[in-house]
Amino acid sequence: MSTTVAAEAVTRSPTASATSPRRRRRGPGSLAVRLGVFAALLLLWWAVTAAGLVEPLFLPGPAAVWHAFVRANTCHPISAGVERVVCGEQNYFLWEHLLASLQRIAAGVSAAVVVGIALGFLMGTVRPVATVVEPYLNFLRSLPPLGYIGLLIVWFGIGDASKTWLLFLAAFPPVAMATIAGVRGIRATRIHAVQSLGASRWQVLRHVVLPSSLPAIVDGVRIAVGFAWTTVVAAELNNGIPGIGGLAYIAGTQLQTPLVIACVIVIGLAAIALDALIRGVGDLLVPWHGKA
Amino acid sequence: MDHHDHETPPAVTITGVTKTYLTDSGDEVLALRETTLAVQPGEFVCIVGPSGCGKSTVMDMLAGFHEPTSGEIRVGGSLVTGPGADRGVVFQQPNLLPWMTVRRNVELGPRLRGSPAAERRELAERFLTMVGLDQFMDRKPYELSGGMQQRCQIARVLANDPEIILMDEPFGALDAITRERMQTELLAIWREKRKTVFFITHDVEEAVFLGTRVLVMSARPGRVVLDLPVRLGDGDAGPEMRSLPQFVALRDQVAAAIHASHDRPTAAVA
Repeated sequence: MSTTVAAEAVTRSPTASATSPRRRRRGPGSLAVRLGVFAALLLLWWAVTAAGLVEPLFLPGPAAVWHAFVRANTCHPISAGVERVVCGEQNYFLWEHLLASLQRIAAGVSAAVVVGIALGFLMGTVRPVATVVEPYLNFLRSLPPLGYIGLLIVWFGIGDASKTWLLFLAAFPPVAMATIAGVRGIRATRIHAVQSLGASRWQVLRHVVLPSSLPAIVDGVRIAVGFAWTTVVAAELNNGIPGIGGLAYIAGTQLQTPLVIACVIVIGLAAIALDALIRGVGDLLVPWHGKA
Repeated sequence: MDHHDHETPPAVTITGVTKTYLTDSGDEVLALRETTLAVQPGEFVCIVGPSGCGKSTVMDMLAGFHEPTSGEIRVGGSLVTGPGADRGVVFQQPNLLPWMTVRRNVELGPRLRGSPAAERRELAERFLTMVGLDQFMDRKPYELSGGMQQRCQIARVLANDPEIILMDEPFGALDAITRERMQTELLAIWREKRKTVFFITHDVEEAVFLGTRVLVMSARPGRVVLDLPVRLGDGDAGPEMRSLPQFVALRDQVAAAIHASHDRPTAAVA
């Protein structure tokens, strides 16, 4: 009996068809296409460099980049025939550089999430606050990080504090803006419904406004982390070792093009992995996203 | 004590209420003109009229979402100043919270009041069983069909035990078969609980079928043009009531009132 009723619910549910494949799943065909395109690009890169069409200084081949990557992760003689051994690049392994940058991003973005969500809720629920603060938020949002890193160094020194501040300042406007949009996008009747059940102002905030704006906040955090990645190189231009952005910059000034490319690829892959992680956490937090 | 009509205080009094609002282009619209109304406890009042006649305005002010421009609304003797748990509202859209299960949604009202977990659990189970959703208590709202979500919303309002139930075209978005079934269920629940109900609809047949009293409203400005008691076995009849001659006569009377009020402004222009 209960199974027939359950079956009825499934067939009558307008969202039933949308619930089973959580996201639009890519078929095996499109994965093959992606791999194929990737292999073709790799081959083109190899062919162009192997044929000597481009000076290796401008574009080293895949093998040279791989070699630079391996060298950056191992201990090796300082040069051929010399006994002195150095480890990694700039005295740190590549993964240590990456970890240092990730720690800065984590510190800056964590602060941005806390402050951004709090300010976003305040601005989304109290009109006068939004009216006063919004222009400054837009001002800050439009500043290029490279423009004011010098100022932050003067204020907070050459150490990690100025870098964390820069990442924080770059990451917190998108979180705040997304939170405001999330709060303002809540349907009035959803709030009215809960008020009519007897909810106080605080209970409305806790039981409706906060969870309803979670999907927008998750999107805001994803954008913020993206901003943090683009900012991390700027943050590490000065005294940025260890740090993957600092390493990329120094490698560039020393014309170690293979190492620059290796760093760029590592930054890109780490960014994609981190975004996938946040998206996964977001899906866990807001399983109803797109369904209600 | 004794329960004669003249002894019972009205559940709702609307005294000289006018509501105007400004459109985005700055025009002032008279949504409701000088309306006075008294509703006794246990009445099932259906408000019917064309869209834009201010029937939702009446509902919004009763619920406390908007204030009257002038006049006053009292529920159980006290002035309405905002939304409250004494007036449960069933909206056209289910408005369930998607991060909570069906059961948690129904428990929400008692939970906001701080009822103990065991008590609100029992309440939720009782009302979900009443609306036929006992098999679906641990589902998420978006896993249910529209009609089931609407029943869940009704259970949520009933579990909160309001004095008055306000329903704004609650079955408007449902298909005809589900709607008829919901109407029958609603009447059964009302017979058991005898709550005061305000029910807004644009469906004349629905109004006459459900209500013990039908108010017809006309548009621009919104006002009550017909206040009709409907006593067809005092709501005890089943679906077969729809084909009774008295039912048909009442339905035609309501429909005629709507058309008359609808035609008048046009005639005035011509």
